[in-house]
Amino acid sequence: MKNLYYEVDKCVACKSCEVACSIAHSATGDLFKVIREEVLSLPRKKIHASKNKNYPVSCRHCQEPLCVDACMAKALEYNEEKGLVLHDESRCVGCWMCVMVCPYTAIRPNIKTKIPVRCDKCSDKDQPQCVKACPTHAILWQEEAVTKR
Amino acid sequence: MSTIEQKSIDVATQEILRKAEAENIKTAWDRLEAQEPQCGFGQLGVCCTVCAMGPCRIDPFGEGAQVGVCGANADTIAARNLVRKIAVGASAHSDHGRDVAHTLSLLADSHTHGKSGSHSHNYEILDIEKFKSLAQEFGIDTQKPKEQILTELSKKLLEEFGKQEGTLTFIKRAPKKRQKIWKDLNITPRGIDREIVELLHTTHMGVDNDYKNLIATGMRCALSDGWGGSMTATDLQDVILGSPVPVRSKVNLGVLKENYVNIVVHGHEPVLSEMAVKAAEDPELVKLAKKFGAEGINLAGICCTANEVLMRHGIPVAGNFLQQELAIITGAVELMMVDVQCIMPALHEIATCFHTKLVTTSSKARFPGVVHIEFDTNNAYEIAKQIIRAGIENYPNRKKEKATIPVEKMDLVAGFTKEIIFQILGGRHRATYKPLNEAIISGRLRGLAGVVGCNNPKQTHDYYHTALVKELIKNDVLVLQTGCSAIACAKQGLLIPEAAKKYAGKGLQEICEAVGIPPVLHLGSCVDNSRILTAASYIIEEGGLGEDLSDIPAAGCAPEWMSEKAITIGFYFVASGVYTVFGSNPFATLGSKNLTDYLTKGLEEVVGARFEFCDDPMQMAKLMIAHIDKKRQDLKLKPMVYHA
Amino acid sequence: MKNFIIIGNSAAGIAAIEAIRKIDTVSKITVISDEEYPAYCRCLISYYLAGQTKEKDIFYRTESFYRAHNVELLLNKKVARVDPKKGRVVLRDRNQRSFDGLLIATGATPKIPEAVKGIKKTGVFGLRTLQDAKAIAELLPVTKAAFVLGGGLVGLKTAYALRKKRIDVKVVVKSKQILSQILDYDGASFVQRRLQENGIDILLGQDITEIIGEGEIRAVKLDSGKAYDCSMVIVGKGVSPNIDLIKDTEIKVNEGIVADSSLQTSVPSIYAAGDVCESLDLTRGAHAVNALWPVAVEQGKIAGTNMAGGNLRYDGSLGMNSLEFFGLPTISLGIYRPEAGEKFEELKKSDPGAQVYKKLLLKDNHLVGAVLVGDIKSSGAYLRLIRERIDCSSIKDMLLQEDFGYPHIVDFVKEKENVYV
Repeated sequence: MKNLYYEVDKCVACKSCEVACSIAHSATGDLFKVIREEVLSLPRKKIHASKNKNYPVSCRHCQEPLCVDACMAKALEYNEEKGLVLHDESRCVGCWMCVMVCPYTAIRPNIKTKIPVRCDKCSDKDQPQCVKACPTHAILWQEEAVTKR
Repeated sequence: MSTIEQKSIDVATQEILRKAEAENIKTAWDRLEAQEPQCGFGQLGVCCTVCAMGPCRIDPFGEGAQVGVCGANADTIAARNLVRKIAVGASAHSDHGRDVAHTLSLLADSHTHGKSGSHSHNYEILDIEKFKSLAQEFGIDTQKPKEQILTELSKKLLEEFGKQEGTLTFIKRAPKKRQKIWKDLNITPRGIDREIVELLHTTHMGVDNDYKNLIATGMRCALSDGWGGSMTATDLQDVILGSPVPVRSKVNLGVLKENYVNIVVHGHEPVLSEMAVKAAEDPELVKLAKKFGAEGINLAGICCTANEVLMRHGIPVAGNFLQQELAIITGAVELMMVDVQCIMPALHEIATCFHTKLVTTSSKARFPGVVHIEFDTNNAYEIAKQIIRAGIENYPNRKKEKATIPVEKMDLVAGFTKEIIFQILGGRHRATYKPLNEAIISGRLRGLAGVVGCNNPKQTHDYYHTALVKELIKNDVLVLQTGCSAIACAKQGLLIPEAAKKYAGKGLQEICEAVGIPPVLHLGSCVDNSRILTAASYIIEEGGLGEDLSDIPAAGCAPEWMSEKAITIGFYFVASGVYTVFGSNPFATLGSKNLTDYLTKGLEEVVGARFEFCDDPMQMAKLMIAHIDKKRQDLKLKPMVYHA
Repeated sequence: MKNFIIIGNSAAGIAAIEAIRKIDTVSKITVISDEEYPAYCRCLISYYLAGQTKEKDIFYRTESFYRAHNVELLLNKKVARVDPKKGRVVLRDRNQRSFDGLLIATGATPKIPEAVKGIKKTGVFGLRTLQDAKAIAELLPVTKAAFVLGGGLVGLKTAYALRKKRIDVKVVVKSKQILSQILDYDGASFVQRRLQENGIDILLGQDITEIIGEGEIRAVKLDSGKAYDCSMVIVGKGVSPNIDLIKDTEIKVNEGIVADSSLQTSVPSIYAAGDVCESLDLTRGAHAVNALWPVAVEQGKIAGTNMAGGNLRYDGSLGMNSLEFFGLPTISLGIYRPEAGEKFEELKKSDPGAQVYKKLLLKDNHLVGAVLVGDIKSSGAYLRLIRERIDCSSIKDMLLQEDFGYPHIVDFVKEKENVYV
């Protein structure tokens, strides 16, 4: 199962990944149209700076997800086959329990749409769009075994 | 998130930052936090947004693209970005100079056409000697009647801006050897506006790809500022507004007064603030102020215009660049009038949290939604009165409970020009630079340092300036200052004669005591950095310290810089032969090793001086002193009297 | 092959089933519930009332779940008492079931303030079950005005739901602030303002003394003496754990059933989890009931695992609430207000203009609680600091930073970080 890994030393906080993520999840998929969409597509990942290093933060699709346990509407579920924590918007009531408990602060509330903003590994595309967008190749899309090496 | 103490060493600043925090008012420090982390490509100078085939980035780690779409590599991109900033900085200074030259020509007009009456409060020639001296420099016969000299001189000065061939007249002030260096390198500036245009041209898509050549063109443009636009501004301001003489005044937010109408002038062009000074003394307006319940009108300044009115009239300085918002946040300012440069757009929103009226005066610097009272040199005094009146009428709106004026205000002495140094150091006998040179030659003074420049919220406000200057004067280096840097050191009590005993080395102390000067001399505003160039030229002319500006045991530093103007000043100093250190942020050039090496090493062989990037004030001092010592060695000067 | 009984079919019960089945697929599991529905999302009841959640979407698990996990589900059955000595439970209909392991996850029941005259009239509701919600929903079309008694989460969520249904609703709160069980005074005022701006009337420092009406409710009378017309009263005065079924046993009870760090009761083989359970509160260092959905899920998991032979340690519960009314998200973690005599270090940021309020409470440089209004995205990091008892001395000046998040605590967390390479 492929996951997103980050080479922190190579992140220069240009936030191209955030921009690419927003576009990937937008209605039009086009940068110049995206910013005029009624519901602005928020990036699913965010760059945080700490101690002179830059850290991209995104949902890690934990196998023992705390957000799934905390969800009081059963809107979050771990899908073993896809290796994803899936979110069912139709059940979600925007209570933000998931935001409250996420140990990686990887979920942000979208107050306007009442939907939690979290990475879905671009499951409807060939690969996460942030990977290509990163100009320093700081984002790695690979199997856990490869990373462990 | 830093603590208040990490944000600034100035107690008054700390106090108002706490007030801002308590009242949920965002300042530059908060906005910097919101911007972090800032883009690495931008910081390294390897982001190019010049043409629509981009925007392009160079991967600093070598894996991704190493050239833009057009083929420009990191060297070209970083150099182009850098010299564009030189052009902008030069534009700011030179446009300022042009405005003063223009004022002079209006003066010429009014004299010729015999306008009289109300112009008794407008401008006139206040420094006749300098006026005549300038005329001579431009080859005008000073036996002619004043009005004619005026007409010819103002014409010639304005021509410097539009010159296409030849060289700028003030270039002749530099030592002959330095002039030759420029000539051989083909970087002698020809015309003030021309150099800016040509520089911008070379940065257009697909023009100059050679980083060394770009830097050369950049240096020429910088020289057209330092020995052109800025120098014009400085000298003409002295002519029209009077040359400064040493004056004692006060600095920091404590100069705001509880029971007075507080009016702050902020910006750069003294043709405006001079009139404000006059208008604030107008008996009719003072009476009006009393009618509105105040004891009088209190004028104070921020940034360079503060330095200008300080130098000439002893007007107190409320603060430097990073304190502009804080002055308003005290809640005690009735009106802030601004013209151009270094004025934060944030002032508008902050002023709306208080009764403070913000007024713009220059057609070049507007704020959406802010009252604009356009300054016109033809009607200068009346307009200034109008603005002051608006401030007076706003006095009853001050909410005394919301107003906090810090107590901090420090004494300072300002008003040192190259002529003053002449006079003062000449002692009783005659105006001369000889004693200064002698002091350096004999080893009482190690050398000279110019510590100048802005503030930057990325660094602890005022700390770098003051720590560096203290270390330099401790080592018998006489420090010359301008701009926000001077204000920073003034706040910490370094610009008074008493500071010599407290902080200076023995050699410098002796001189200060003998002559009655502080160990740190305030030369004025940022255009007044040109005073340093001319002073340095006089030093060479006096003799004994080499033949070129690069021979003088001297170094320059901008410890907390932020503006493009600072880059231009840095370049005209280096191009004139002065080793110059820049603090904290290196120029955005680190993405190009070649360019960085050229600026910090290679330039030495080309112009006899180079840049140094350093982010620790003690290290800055060490480097500058080492450089000064080397120059002393090269000149075979006597060893220092009081230090090893 | 064992015989497990779980009394209760909500968050804790379901989590226990899944936990047991992870390590034991052969033992028998029987779930006994006194409600008529398969497990549903209790917290969504007010959303159901508001018309936001449909009945079909309120279910937490469907019948297929019980089949797939090989669980016998007994609905509409109440356990009258537990007999630890004989290892069996006795149902109200006299039926008996024996067990090898028992998990009591009976939840809690709304407290009814007996002192209020007329509190037992028809038209007075608690809001705990789907049944309650349906009963209330039935009356809404003929309800013009309603009173909510209590300024806690249930009371306010109910008021919100009624407002969405265009009922004129007033909330009577005894305390000087709403949400006194989860927010400090300043944090609560932000939420109160937002509610009032959106048409929910809040009467602070007042109490209902009498509910007036013959047959149907006509009005309520407050302790101020003033009376208000209304035809419905909803009580949100907290819940008390359902411990009746063990009252004559040696199982240790306090406010709830006391459980240790394995979530075992004083009787081995009997476990407790969820709103009925009184476990160690790791922020207070004392036992307490924290009747919250995520707490119940975690407890159910651990209790179930341990009952089935596992050996998980429960570090303790803490208060953790998340709510949002009219676009103002609010989160409360751990200790939100010092008790009399307690001293905490408080870090605070209050910006009414931006509608953001953050307060952190620290003891000996350790975070013990947080109140967040308006900007809640750092919550997960604060929760980790509390749970993992991380020393915050070196990061104290960063805690209130707007972007405070996982990267700021990555050096302190207990697990091995493997995503940042």
